[in-house]
Formats: sequence, structure tokens, C-alpha cells
Amino acid sequence: MVRYAIREKDAIPFLSKELCEKILTDLEEGKRPVLKATKCSLDNCIYSPTVGYLTPGSKKTSTELNVASVKKMARAVFMLEIVLRNVKSGGVNTKRELYYVCKGLLKQNKNLKPLDFEDQVESDSVIDFICEILECYREELNCYANDRGGQTYSKQLVVVEKLTDGTEATIDLSQLGTSPFMPKNRPQNLVLKVKKKVEFCLVVESEGTANTLVANGFTHRTPSIVVGAQGVPSNAVRGWVKRIQDQLNVPIFFFGDLDAYTIQNIYRTLKAGSASSLIRNADFSAPDVRFLGVLPEDIAKYDLFAYDVRESDVVEKRSLKKARDALDNDPFFKSRRNKGLVKILEWLIENKKRCEQQAFFSVDAGNPRGFEKIILEKIESGSYV
Amino acid sequence: MTEKNKITSSSTAEYFAKNLQQVGFSSPTKAVLTTLKEALDNALDACEEHKILPDIQIYVRRLGRGNLKNTDRILIGVEDNGPGLSVEQTPMVFGEYLASSKFGRGRCSRGQQGIGISAATTWAVQTSATGARVLTKQKGQSKALSCVIATDYKKNKGLMQEKQMVAWEKPHGTRVEFIIDGRVQLNGEAGLLAYLRGNVLLNPHLSLTYELPDIEKVHIPRVSDDLPQIPDATPPHPHTMKLGEFISHARLFGTMKLMDWLCKEFSRLGKEEVEAIRKTTKLPAALLPKAVSSLKDEELQVLYQAIQDAPLKPPSTQSVMAIGEEALSISIQRLGDIDYFSVVSRKPCICDFKPIQVEVAIARLSTKEGSVEDSVQVLRFANRVPLQFDKASCAIVKAITTILWRSYGLKQTKGALPTGPYIIAVSVVSPFIKFKNASKETIDASDELVLEIRKALMKGGQELSKHLNRESRAKELESKKAHIEQFGPALVESLCRILQAPDSRKKRAEEGIQKILGRDDRAAQRALDHAEEKLSEHMQKQKKRLERFTEEDNQIDSDETNREEE
Repeated sequence: MVRYAIREKDAIPFLSKELCEKILTDLEEGKRPVLKATKCSLDNCIYSPTVGYLTPGSKKTSTELNVASVKKMARAVFMLEIVLRNVKSGGVNTKRELYYVCKGLLKQNKNLKPLDFEDQVESDSVIDFICEILECYREELNCYANDRGGQTYSKQLVVVEKLTDGTEATIDLSQLGTSPFMPKNRPQNLVLKVKKKVEFCLVVESEGTANTLVANGFTHRTPSIVVGAQGVPSNAVRGWVKRIQDQLNVPIFFFGDLDAYTIQNIYRTLKAGSASSLIRNADFSAPDVRFLGVLPEDIAKYDLFAYDVRESDVVEKRSLKKARDALDNDPFFKSRRNKGLVKILEWLIENKKRCEQQAFFSVDAGNPRGFEKIILEKIESGSYV
Repeated sequence: MTEKNKITSSSTAEYFAKNLQQVGFSSPTKAVLTTLKEALDNALDACEEHKILPDIQIYVRRLGRGNLKNTDRILIGVEDNGPGLSVEQTPMVFGEYLASSKFGRGRCSRGQQGIGISAATTWAVQTSATGARVLTKQKGQSKALSCVIATDYKKNKGLMQEKQMVAWEKPHGTRVEFIIDGRVQLNGEAGLLAYLRGNVLLNPHLSLTYELPDIEKVHIPRVSDDLPQIPDATPPHPHTMKLGEFISHARLFGTMKLMDWLCKEFSRLGKEEVEAIRKTTKLPAALLPKAVSSLKDEELQVLYQAIQDAPLKPPSTQSVMAIGEEALSISIQRLGDIDYFSVVSRKPCICDFKPIQVEVAIARLSTKEGSVEDSVQVLRFANRVPLQFDKASCAIVKAITTILWRSYGLKQTKGALPTGPYIIAVSVVSPFIKFKNASKETIDASDELVLEIRKALMKGGQELSKHLNRESRAKELESKKAHIEQFGPALVESLCRILQAPDSRKKRAEEGIQKILGRDDRAAQRALDHAEEKLSEHMQKQKKRLERFTEEDNQIDSDETNREEE
């Protein structure tokens, strides 16, 4: 199939019609249509330090029309028809809404009644299947999620948003008071400007800690952008940080807990994307992000409270096991470029310790600016990976 | 010795009167079931012993409040058409402990020691102050004997009271009634219905009528007129004896020649086998014509060891009283709405020095009757008597739970009973079953016995899986056909709408999709045909196996008879 530049207008309708034409032609000729998609799994990941994010290898998954797959294909083509209508008209829906749209349309056509979905899990998997075969992300199908995280604070940042009706909206973040800016849905549509030079962007794993920093006047005193990641970064957060990296060209630091889950799931996903989103990592990863902490050496340096990883805790134990697997199999951690992160993982596995980001509040405990001071000190002294 | 430390002896009756919990009277609920069980077992054994097709009536009624706390006064009556009892036999049977016609005879009868029915009488006397009311008549008698039996505990003797001769229209038979304190449990694994259900399964020749509280009178006609072949008491198989038993056995036959003793007093030993065994030992040939009493214990020990190493034929099937695959097949269909069953009768073998035979029946109930989520129903039998208590430690349950039923198509959590609307019935028959207690509630789980039961269950599981496989193939075919009919046109319709394709393309695509998916349909049909063929082959093999099994069995028995005649 000839690939279209995915950003171009009409790309999705073109790719969809091309796909449908191929299926219909095969059927007319009595041939089994085969739909191929990039295999999105760790064994098909390639990591090149020069690229900076995980890219897909040559492995493909194929779905051939047979008795077992005819239901899935029929549902996918039916759903495709609905999302194409949205793409053309500029309408948007959530997955939940699409589930009900489908149910409503199926109710009206008794020939299509067998395609009905029993629950949203079924319709969601069909949307994901369409994304796989068209190799696009669902926002391109105008199917938006209510993505969490990404609350952004800055006294210098100005965001210009292109709206669907062609107009533009300009948001000056310094005018929002204590309210954050939320980069929803498609941060790719946003254009960023700064009123004054920004020194860095700080992505904080805990949304609460990001709030504390801002409430204590961090952004007043330091020309910076503070983003709350709220755990594993959603598409919105990943796309937004990528946008900040590309358009503002400022150093970006990630600050989070010192544990295997944070390094492997949260930080790796923000920096290099994930195996399950191989086809969209280019737009949803920020390779320039650095790991500010908590670093293993911070524990001794600042005398931080660290907890033992309990073998009896299933989640923590699994996390360590996954870390071991990652060191063996994940191309991101196998790259020499990331040996600093590998050392942290090895330290965690060996010492079976974990330290939370809020542990810095125990240093200079009575001083509300104590935490801010340590962050700035770490950035200035280059205490990051 | 002081008066305080004086050692006294008690009679058997005194012992059991104080320890009725050891023989199944540990709770009011168990008391009702045990009383019914002992009476029914006796009735069935009596009928079969005298080659009478059993026609048995049971009635259990609540008469009012019991004397014990939280109990009812229960009347339990069992009436059979057996041979009846003489005036002398009646108090012995119902009132005397260890008075049995079956003890140590090496036969697979239900009762063995002669404890159970006397214990029921004791329970009746202890809880309601009335003994067992018996009405019995032997063939040819004009009047029946009516009496009440109690027990003289000091002497362990039955006491006959209220003796009178009365008219009874029945030509022969026995009716026994107990009034006891107890509680009636109908449902559940320990319920009366499960017990009766078990008896119905294992006794196709039984015609049973029962009347229980809260349910209507039920009559279950017999489905077979063939009486079970009552096994004759056979000489012991030498592999079933321990050294001490072997030597004691020898001392009973003092003047008999050694060769005669070995050939006549043991099964599966003939002149050829004895000669071969002697050659393997250093015993002189001159020893064989000598009297058994002349052999020293050391010589008997050498002989015993050589016999243990000799490859002898397994014990005769006549020494164990199996139900048989055919009878089980007929009988299992009386358990409810059965839509599939498989039965397996293993050949008799030696387990723990005793001849034993294991039979298994696996039946699937229609889903209306059985729950898909619940554990399978397990029916356990020892010498055709249902076992209803202490399930967890029983050899049968241990064997079932150690099998991976998932490989046969059943759902199972590892180490637990499988789930689904199935009945798994396992019958163990042996002249010497190793029970874990005197109340015969559970079979001792020795490794050898568990292994033997597992083999039978696995065979049953394999047969079941062939059937389930055929079913799943048929379902698959049906589902594929439905898929093609439903989703094929829907796919084409959506494609044509997106592409705004003309009707001609739509028609061609519809034909194309039928052609493509039709191939899958045909492949599924071939798979179904293959599964059906496999099932049919299996049924043929099973039939042949059964025929061969019967022939071999007959051959072994005729060899045995010939040798005895010689």
C-alpha cells in the first residue's frame, strides 16, 4: 500500500478508501483479503540513539479473511464508515460515544444487526484495529479521549490553538492565575511562543507536587514551564512535551520517584515512547528529556527516607522482575546511550530500595522553598542523567 | 491388686453400645441414614444370596418430637421379598453383635462383620426404648413371625420380645421397623435421596419403592432381570497374603501334603506353577509329597518368597463381584436426564495384597438438571454400598482430584473436583476393602488403590473427551455457518457503501465471499466427520474389548475349574 503523509488533509479518507477497494476487489476475485499491520510489541522495537525513540522493525501482523475473522472485519469496515463521516465533517467523538452511535445505527438496519456490540470493550477493540491497519492514531480518526495529566504552569508561555472553524485562540498562561493550561486531545495543533526566555521545562510525576511548586511561587521566581505528568504519561502529555521540545528548544527535566516502575514505564515512555505505540512514537516522545531524580546518590547526599522493596508486595516484586526483563530485552535500555538509566535500574534491583519524590520535603523541612532550592541546585550542578 | 485397679472385661455389645458413633451413629442425621442403610444392605444381601430379584419398599415417617434435644421421632421401615428368617436366626441378626454369615469368607457382600443392624437396634433402644420390630416369613410357612428384638448387652445376645405368629399375605420376606430419635436430611451428598440414588445406580436388578417425608411416594422399576453372580468364596490368592498369614494358613492343614495344600488351598497355583516355584528355591523335590506340618517356618518363608516373585495369574474375577459395563450403562440412565455417559470396568488386580476391581461411570446431565458452575457430583461405592461421609480423605476423591480433567474437556481448578453437570460414580469391589473406620464411610487412600482408580477414571475421561470433541466440532461447524450467513453480507454492504460501488460489484463480492468462506465451512465439516469417525472407531474398539474381556475372563475361570477337577 502506498503510504500517504499522515499529516496531510484527506489522508485518512484516502487510506480508508484504498483499503476498502483492496478488500472489495479481492472479494470479487474470490481471493482472501489480507490486512497487514505493523507488529507493535517489544520484539519488533528498534532503538537508535540518533533517532531517540522506539521505532518499528519489519515484523507485520496479518489478518486474513476467514470464518473466524469475518466478524471482526465486518465490524471494522462498519466502524470505519462512521469515523470517516466524522473526519469529513470535522465532528469528534469519544470511544464511549462511538459505541452508542454504532448501537443506534445498527438498530435501524436489520441486515447489520449481527454486528452489534455487547459492550464497549468490543467496540474499542475495533477502533484500535482500524488504527493498526491504517497505521494512524485515534485522534486522526477524530476519536478523542479525555486524556488526563499535562497541567501546565508558566509565566512566559503563550499557546496559539487552531480551532476547527479555522479561527485561532491565543492563551497567555501568565493570565490564568493559579489555573493550569490543559493540552487536550491534539497538542500537534498548538503553536507555542514565549514572552521571555524560558530556562527549562520541569515535568513532575506527581501532579500534586507540581501544584505545590507553583503555589509556592516557583514559576514567579524562575522563568520555567512546570508540567504535571500524573503518573504514566497519556498521549496528551507525551504529545505536549514533544511539542515543547520541538518548538521551544529548552532543556526538559523529568522529576519523579526512584523506583523501577517510574524509570521503566513513566520516564521511558515520555522519552522514547512505548512498544504498544510504535507507529506513533515519532509524535509522542521527547528524546531530549533528562532524568533529574530522584537519583540513587540523592539518598545519601540529602539523607532521604528510602523504603525497602517488600518481596511480599506483588506489585513491587513484579516491577523488579519487569526491570530485570527490561535490562535483558528492551532495546532502549540495551543502548549504550542510556547506560546511566541502566545503572539506576541495576542499583534498584541490587539494593531493593525505593524513594519517593516527596522525600525531598524532609530536607530543610520547615522551609517552603527548600524543595525548590534542591531542584534548582540539581539542575545547576548537572545532577541528572 | 486393689479394688480400684481391678481389670474387668466387657462384651462386644457393651463396647458398641457405648461407642455407637464409631459405627455411624454420631449425629441424629447420620443415625437415620445409617439405620436405613443397614436395613437396606441386609435386605439386598439376603435377596441376592438366595437368587431372588429384590423388590424392596422403604418408608421413613416423622412421628413427632424426639426424646433427644432437637430431634424428631422417626419411623424407618424396610420390607423385602427375601428368604425370611427362622425363629433362631432373628434375634441373632438384629440383636447380636458380630453374628454374621459373611465374616472373613472372602466375598464381596455389602455387610461383613455383623455389626451395623445390631447397632441400629441399640440406637432405637437407647433413644426411644423400643427395639427392632420384625415381621418375617420363610417360604412354605403359613404364618409370619412377629416380634421385637432388643440386645442383652452383658451377654451380647439378641432378646426376642412380644413374639407371636401372625398372618401375612407375602409368601416370604422380612419387614423391619425402627423407631429412633433422629433428623431426616433428604438432599445433599449426605442425604437420603443421594443414598437411594446410589443404590439405584449400582443395582439395576432392584425394584425400589420409597416413601420419604415431604415428597411423594416414588417407585423405580428394575431395569435388569439378571441377578448379580454372587461370588463363591474362593481360596486365597497367594499374592494377597502376608508371611504370617501364610504360615498360619499352613498350620491349619497339618497332615495334608505340601503339593496338595498349595494346589487346593490357594487360587491360581497348579502343579506346573508349584514345580517351577520349587526349582527357583533350594527346597528338595522330596518335600512336596511331605505333610505341611513337617515344614519348618524357615522353609515356609523361602517358599513364600519364591511364590511372591512368581508371575501368577491375577485373582479370578469370580472373587470380586463387579457390576459390569453393560449393567452400569443401563442403570446410570435411571439417575436423571442423562445426555451422555461412559462406563469403564477395570480388570481385577491386586492392591495392597487384596484382589480388587474398580468400575467407573461418568454421566453428563442435561444442563437443566445440573449446574455448569458447581462441582461434579461424586458417587462413591464400596462393595455396592454408597459412601456418603468423610469425602475428603477417601481414596476415590483423592484419585478424582489428582487427575487433570481439563485435558478431557472438563473445567477444573488444579487439585479440586472438576466442575460441570456431571456425575462421576466410582465403585470399588473387593472381598477385603480397607475402610478407614468401622462405620465404613470412607476407603483408605493407599497409593496402589488411588493409582488403580485413577487408571479407570482416565479411561473414562478419554472416552468422554472423544464425545466432547465431536460435540465441539459440531458446534464449530454450526457457528461457522452462522458467521458466514450473518457477517459476510454485512461486510460487503459496508464496503460498497464507503466506495459507493455499483450493485454489480456488490453481487460479485457476495459470491466471492461465499466461495471463500465456504471453503472454511467444508474444512469444518471434514473436521467434524473426522471426529465422528474417531468416536465410532472408539465405540467399535470398546465393543471388541468388552467381548475379549469376557472371553479372557471365562478362559481364566475355566482353567481354574479344570485344575480343581484334576
